[in-house]
Amino acid sequence: MALDLQMAVLVVDDYKTMIRIIRNLLKQLGFEDIDDAADGTEALEKMKQRRYGLVISDWNMEPMTGYELLKQVRADSGLSKTPFIMVTAESKTENVIAAKKAGVNNYIVKPFNAQTLKGKIEAVFAD
Amino acid sequence: MAAMTNENMARVIEFLQENKNRGADDVSLNDVMHLAEVMSGSMHEVLSAVQPGVTHELQLIAGEISRMKNEITSLRANDMKTSKIPDAGRELDAIVEATESATDTIMQAAEEIMSADTSDPVAYQEFVSNKMIGIFEACTFQDITGQRISKVVATLNYIDERVSAFVEQLRIPEGLEVQAEETEEERRQREQILHGPQHAGEGVSQDDIDAMMNGSGSQDDIDKLFD
Repeated sequence: MALDLQMAVLVVDDYKTMIRIIRNLLKQLGFEDIDDAADGTEALEKMKQRRYGLVISDWNMEPMTGYELLKQVRADSGLSKTPFIMVTAESKTENVIAAKKAGVNNYIVKPFNAQTLKGKIEAVFAD
Repeated sequence: MAAMTNENMARVIEFLQENKNRGADDVSLNDVMHLAEVMSGSMHEVLSAVQPGVTHELQLIAGEISRMKNEITSLRANDMKTSKIPDAGRELDAIVEATESATDTIMQAAEEIMSADTSDPVAYQEFVSNKMIGIFEACTFQDITGQRISKVVATLNYIDERVSAFVEQLRIPEGLEVQAEETEEERRQREQILHGPQHAGEGVSQDDIDAMMNGSGSQDDIDKLFD
């Protein structure tokens, strides 16, 4: 799958400032179509209404966590192929293993820099 | 057998009557301890006539009750509930508010600089300088939040000292503490693997995560990271 800067990107985070930071970084990378959601439930609703080329999600949100969102996306035949990057402060080994088993495409631990985000997005679409 | 004196009996009855008048649902720990004191005092004369050795035991129990009352008083629980903890909560709210406000100001300035018109270099330089001053001003929140955090830490130390001293005085044997039932929030944290941010050196690094993502994710791969 090739990296297409025209594709829609969904940023999921319950912290508005983090959405703003990721949105600005994505704009710097050349992405223009950036949407956001405040938790997994809202993200899943949006994903069922519109096709996103990439989901960048936090883990710890209420009511639905990013981990639960990832599992539901992978279980949905219409959404299961959507590239999914977890961006989170949850940096325990068991979190990374659980995310990988659930089918995450890449995992970024907060705090992160623009280069890391760029590298992980490129890696996802290089696979 | 010696009988409980009328005076002592009257004290117990008076206490129970007062308690009854206040309603059965309004019995405090202090009431229970007071009743125990009254009862032990009342039985003192009865038992000293029958079994002198028991008198000493009763004196020890009465002394222990009195000591516990002093410990509870020194906890200053009401002060914690009505003053210290609400004050700490207000300080934390103010910290969140100040950091959000400063972050918003800094990000706003950065976004305006990024989207500014660069066609006139002199005007652009002046615009950027003004925005940079705004960023410096916003960073002054650090000093105030530092002072607020110090106050919250002092409150936590205050509570820690008193509760630790109280627990020590209770002399609870190890292993006697009851295992609390898992709450709904704890269950969610366990199932959703929510630990929160790790301290420096506690979690895995981005490099370790990259290695895990590139490997099979097996326990062997994970173990290799920690060899």
